[in-house]
Amino acid sequence: MSTLELYTPTDLNDALRFLEHDGGNSAVIASGTDLLPRMRRRQISPSILVDISAFTEDLRFIRRSDGTIRLGALTTVTDLLESPMFYGRLSMVREAARLFGAPQVRNVATVGGNVCSAASSEDLIPVLMALDAKLKLASARGERTVPLKDFIIGKRQTTMKPSEILVEVSFNEPEGNSWTAYEKLGRRNMLILAMVNEALILSLEDDLQTIHSARLALNRVSGKIPALAVETSDFLEGKRVTDQTIVQAQKVMESELSLTSDFRGSGEYRTEVAQVYLRRLVERCARHIGGSS
Amino acid sequence: MSAVPATLEDLPEMAKCAVTINVNGTEHPMQVDAPDRLIDVLRDQLSLKSVKEGCSTGDCGICAVLVDGKLVNSCLMLAAQCDGRRVTTLEGLLEDPVMKRMQGSFIANNAAQCGFCTPAMLMASWDLARHSPEPSSEEIKVAISGILCRCTGYYQIIDSVRQGCEKGGR
Repeated sequence: MSTLELYTPTDLNDALRFLEHDGGNSAVIASGTDLLPRMRRRQISPSILVDISAFTEDLRFIRRSDGTIRLGALTTVTDLLESPMFYGRLSMVREAARLFGAPQVRNVATVGGNVCSAASSEDLIPVLMALDAKLKLASARGERTVPLKDFIIGKRQTTMKPSEILVEVSFNEPEGNSWTAYEKLGRRNMLILAMVNEALILSLEDDLQTIHSARLALNRVSGKIPALAVETSDFLEGKRVTDQTIVQAQKVMESELSLTSDFRGSGEYRTEVAQVYLRRLVERCARHIGGSS
Repeated sequence: MSAVPATLEDLPEMAKCAVTINVNGTEHPMQVDAPDRLIDVLRDQLSLKSVKEGCSTGDCGICAVLVDGKLVNSCLMLAAQCDGRRVTTLEGLLEDPVMKRMQGSFIANNAAQCGFCTPAMLMASWDLARHSPEPSSEEIKVAISGILCRCTGYYQIIDSVRQGCEKGGR
């Protein structure tokens, strides 16, 4: 029987040095709320766990400077909920955090873990994708920054190398006539993985009727990969916020999405719900922008 | 979250780690295996049987305890990750006035049917009562949302929590 070992590095650099040599056999563990159930189900079988959960001093923070918000990878979902940062224009972060798991999970589950899980049910990924988040990946050889939209390349597959650790997620704070909104459907309200989740950031021109820009992200657009709905987002740009625009955008969305069925719901149902959510998200954002200006 | 979890024995063996965990106010130096979860040492090494194991995958919440004052699922945390941390189980709150009041309210409202979820429900309710003396039904539902009662006696539990909180009895 193979042995599972735990490596408790002294600091982040120690962890990175360790991964440089043994990254291939290792899994980085933060809270473990996703990793441990997957290990129990034999979906992954690392021989070494590298525990970074103690590095909260370096990796657990929510900072805002020069229009950019930075989240340390060990920031918990409860931290997001308790932060004053996610009211107003960024309220979709709070909405997603509120609908994330249940209190016991939110108290430990991390932003970095949610992103690295790269599953099609993660609550934070569509939100961060709509915000065009950038990921800072560290390794013993240095750091690199990749856009989240390029990071996830398949179901639970990312471009992260075994020698790397995600240390920070950052995104620009929406400004001016913009707002964000999030919708999630599951079979119950709490402690549920999403059948559909959908996040939108919408900016209007100064007339408060014409869409300047839109970025819509879903837990799945094609197959089981969270992604931006590029065609739908592009279609919305330059259009006025009217019932007709929304109906047309829903049609674009219907052709853009190719959703498969699984035990959580059929592809047809998911597509239907995603279209309904598109309307809600556009209307909610437009209403807030009109009301807040 | 559908697959039947592997049993503990199925997990690979590993080298022992020396940890010291403060459980219910007492420092416990102990040797743990790397795959040992917090629930394993609480139940098997310290015989704290209020901590129940249900799904082992974070769905049922029956294993809820407090770590450094935060409610967590003890089946989803490695024991080695609790080195130097403070763990509280129901056994550690038996003399706590807020818990006594909550327990009395659970008894008075028949909130326990089979009772398997009751320790976790009490932990979540105690955690709520500390922060919110007069919670709304919605706040109570959110607070206990991570714990499944398979007898589905939720209304008795919600009533109990409301009355068990400081001002809820009015």
